[in-house]
Parts: sequence; structure tokens; C-alpha cells
Amino acid sequence: MVGTPVLFIAIPLLAAFLIPLLGMIWKELVRIVPGLVLTYLLILAINLLNHVLVHGPIVEVIAGWVPPIGINLVFSAFSGFLVTLMIFLGLLVWIYSYRFKRNVEYEPALKYFLMLMMLITGSVGIVLTGDIFNMFVFIEITSISAYGLTAFYKGRNSAEASFKYVMMGSIASTFLLLAIMIIYSQLGTLNMADIARKIHLMNPTLKIVSYIFFVTALGIEAEIFPLNGWAPDAYAEAPGPVGAAFAGIVVKAAVYAIIRYTYTIFDLSSSFSFLIIIGMITLIIAETAAIRQEKLKRMLAYSSIGQMGLVLVAFGFGTKEGVFAALFLMLNHAIIKSLLFFSGSYLVYNSTEKNIKEVNGMSKFLPVTSLLFAIGAFAIVGLPPFAGFWSKLSVLTAAADSNMILIMVLVLMVSVVELVYYLRVVNRIYFFKKEADTKPHKPTFNALFVMLVLGAIILLIGFYPDAVTGMLHKASASLMDKGQYIHNVLSLK
Amino acid sequence: MDSTLFHYLDYAVYGTAILVMLIGFYGTMVKKSLLKIVISLSVIDSGLNLLIVTIGYYKGGTAPIFSPGFLKNFKDVSKMVDPIPQALVLTAIVIGFGVTAVALALVIRLYRHHGTLNIDEIKNLKW
Repeated sequence: MVGTPVLFIAIPLLAAFLIPLLGMIWKELVRIVPGLVLTYLLILAINLLNHVLVHGPIVEVIAGWVPPIGINLVFSAFSGFLVTLMIFLGLLVWIYSYRFKRNVEYEPALKYFLMLMMLITGSVGIVLTGDIFNMFVFIEITSISAYGLTAFYKGRNSAEASFKYVMMGSIASTFLLLAIMIIYSQLGTLNMADIARKIHLMNPTLKIVSYIFFVTALGIEAEIFPLNGWAPDAYAEAPGPVGAAFAGIVVKAAVYAIIRYTYTIFDLSSSFSFLIIIGMITLIIAETAAIRQEKLKRMLAYSSIGQMGLVLVAFGFGTKEGVFAALFLMLNHAIIKSLLFFSGSYLVYNSTEKNIKEVNGMSKFLPVTSLLFAIGAFAIVGLPPFAGFWSKLSVLTAAADSNMILIMVLVLMVSVVELVYYLRVVNRIYFFKKEADTKPHKPTFNALFVMLVLGAIILLIGFYPDAVTGMLHKASASLMDKGQYIHNVLSLK
Repeated sequence: MDSTLFHYLDYAVYGTAILVMLIGFYGTMVKKSLLKIVISLSVIDSGLNLLIVTIGYYKGGTAPIFSPGFLKNFKDVSKMVDPIPQALVLTAIVIGFGVTAVALALVIRLYRHHGTLNIDEIKNLKW
């Protein structure tokens, strides 16, 4: 063992607050330190994940207070997989934005990296923690840094997008706290495993009310349909890499929280069909909205919302195949959507409106970026040689196994819509003539490197899915085994 | 008589907390000024904090502080109110303060950009 799970929170949090001080010593440290921290955390995460896959979950007790009294962190195959994925994406976001815009001054760069570290700390904390109030604190850390990152560029309408996000996020946190207090007043505990053990003692009405409050609050972060009004604007106004960080890190953490509440904490049997219904509505509404968008990043944002809907549908099957499919989708979505945001923001780099029209004929000027965008577009739609094919296939087989033929048909129909709007963009990149007014901007070396890595991973998973499926099977088994989770946390002495 | 009166008072405190929250929700939905919206968000937080403290309280409880000589009389220990809701409220207040600060910073940015605080006139994005 090389480290413990608490380092995933302690080190980036410490680094985030040391960044301004380090900047006083040497300004370049502001850019370098986050990368060093994330590299270390990635190595640690991979080591711990390998350990966990063989030896079973690690439960860390904070400050010597044994659960259910104290806070504990759980690094299981499921949470470890998500932590590794998030830190990997965080590292890629760092590489991509290391030299982002040489015109960004010292001061904004400092704030950017500080908030990025806080965002990663918060999201990783949500996934690792075993205490519902602690999760609330991490959700707030994540949201506040997300508000800041959304408002990063002063020239755009970013403050407006961010204010919208603040309003929804702040109401979400109220509901979350209310749900936590309902549970606390009924059961007198805040520990997830302890709640899961005692949940049958709770008043059934209050149980449903608190579950609904939880899903409402987390649904705002996870972009579930009626609550996702902030998402398209925040994605469109935030810097490109931040869009990738939202899609890959923040939303994943929020979906994790919903899943943890549904699978481990609450024992409501109707919650699974509830997930299928809201997931399906989100999927259909988002994909039909995406086809009407004129701005590239708004289209990508709606596509991201739709994918999250599909993830919820897959989790809603409640079977092992469903969980496996959902995790596979989450992995693919994180990788592919990041690639799309990274390459897409170069395709519309110099235009002010960021309209889809501006990508016309870009393939002649930015051949590699265009090719990578096309790979990403085909992959997310689920065309065969790419990674997205396997995850969509596993969703469909999971639906077939649960005898949900209607869901299968709807998912396939929505995929056609998805295919149409992605192909429309790719068609414009390759076969339209360029309009004269915008100059293409060559990607920096770092950005190109990140995009190539992501493209390579998409092809690797596409041709050799066994590289990840073993791990995903273990992760889904770890989520499904509720009794084992309770036992692992509460048997500590 | 005394206990029933307290019973009603108990409900009154819960009712007040929920009423404060509802006033806040009303404000966020109806008010047009950005500043009033931020204030309403803060009012929701206050109502919720009041509610949480109320959950931890019971009649005749004492402050949950251990002091020397306290343990001699075990009855006093069992009279302590639940400290956890109070600790949670402290955290929630700090978080609410942070969110309000961020929201106000954004209001300043919006005011500089648009020259108005009226939410109807700030419509570059679809609401």
C-alpha cells in the first residue's frame, strides 16, 4: 500500500490553497503544481484501484472516530473506478489548459487552477465519502468552484450563465440539507451504511419525501430533465476545458450520488422505475433539443444531458447488466465528450458567436482536430469500431435481458436523432466551403497531445473492450452488494 | 396545561421556520431585482437553519458542553440537546455565506456589464 484514500482530498485541497502563496515565490508554480499533484494522485488512484480489485474495499476512518459516529471514506471497486476516471480527466484538463491562451494573465490563471483543484477535490470527495452531510459539504465545494469557473471569461455572457447556476444550485443545496435533516431526525445517524441498515425503521412517507428531495437536489448537478436549465448556458459560456471538466467530473459525481442513494441507502423498489422514467424523459427531451441548437457547445451540452439520461435509464434496470452498461456509458461519455469539447472549442475558436455554421470546411485548415472531432462524434453515436458502440450495445442487451423492449426501441430511435445532428456537424466540417470571415486557430501542442490520447483511448476500447470490461464488472458487483458495503463500514473497530 | 402550550409553541417554531423558507422561495421566483433574489436565497438558508436547530432542541434541554463536575450528575448529561444539528447549522451558515458572496460578486459583474439590476433586461441568454 502506497497511500490512503484521504490523500485524494487532503492533497488537492492543500494544493489549492497553497497555489496563491506558491505564486508569490515563482509565478510558473501556479501552472506546474496542479499538474504534479494530479499526476501523483493518478498514480495513487491506479495503485489503490489495483489493490482494491484484488483485496476488497478500503475503508478509511477519519480522526479516529469509528463509524457510525465519525466520517469515513470508502474506496471500493465502484468508487475507486470513478475516482481514477475523474483524476485522469482532471489531469488531461490540466495538460490541455497548461498553456491555455498565452494571453491569459497571471491573476486569472491563478484563479483558474485554484478553482479547478477545488472542483476535483469536491467531486472526488462526493464519490469517496461515506457520510451524507460530508457529501453535502463536498457538493457545495464542487458547486461553488463550478460557479466561479463558469464565470471565468469576462467578455462573454458568463456572469449571466453563472448567476443562473448559482440560483439553481443554491436551491438545490437547500433541498439536500432538508433531505439530510429528515433522515437525521428519523434515524439519528448520518453515516450511509448505518442509514442503509436502519432505513426500514423510517416512516414510509418521510422516506419517499427525503428520497425525492435528494434526487431533486442532485438532479440539478446531474442535469436531469426539468432541472437542467443551467447546463447549456454554463457549458456554452465556460472555457472549453471547463465544459469537459463539467461533463467528465462534476456530472459523474452527481450521478454517483444519485446511484448511491438509490442502490445502497434507500430500499424503495419503485425508485428504479422512477429512474427509468426520468432518464427516458431526459434523454428524449435533450436529444430533440440538441438537434435544434445553433451553437456548437450548446449542442454538445444537450447531448451530454441526453447521455446522462441514458445512464440513469441503464441504472434503473436494477440488474447487474444494467449497472455494467451504465458504468461503461459513464466511462465512454467522460472520454468522448471531453474529446468533443476539446476539439470543438478549437473548431470555433476565433468566432464570436460559436455557431455550428463556423465549422464549415475546417478540415482543410485543422485536419487533425477535425478528424478527432469526427472520431468523437461517431463514437458517441455508437458506430462500430469506436468505444461508444460497446456501451450502447450493452445498454440494449441489458434492456433486452430485463424484457424492456419499449425502452430498447426508444433508445434506438433517439440514437437516430443523435446520429443526425452529429453527422450534420461532421458533414459541415468536411464537405462545406469555408466562409471567409473567421480564421482557424492552430491547437497548441498540449491540446493536440490530449486530444490524440483521448482519440487513442476511444480506438483502444473500440477494438479491445476487454481492456476495461473486467474492471467494470467488478465495479458493478461492488455497487450491487449492499450487505457487503454495510458490513465493510460498520465492522471496523 | 403547560405541556400542551409548549406543544403548540413547538409547532409554531417549525411553522415559522417553514414560513421563512417559503417567503424566500416566493422572493426568488417573483422578485425582479438581482439583489432581492440574492437576499431571498439567503432568507431560504436562514429558514432552513432555524428548522434544523429546532429539530435538535427539546424542552428543558441544556447546552451540550462538558465541564468538570458535570459527570457527577448523570441526569444533566441526558438533558443535553443534540449537538449534531447545531454543528451542521454552523457548517451550513458558512456555506451559505460563501454562496451569497459568490452570488453578489456575480451581481456586481452583471451590473457593470448591463448597467441594470432588473432581471428582465438581462436577457442575452435564454432563461
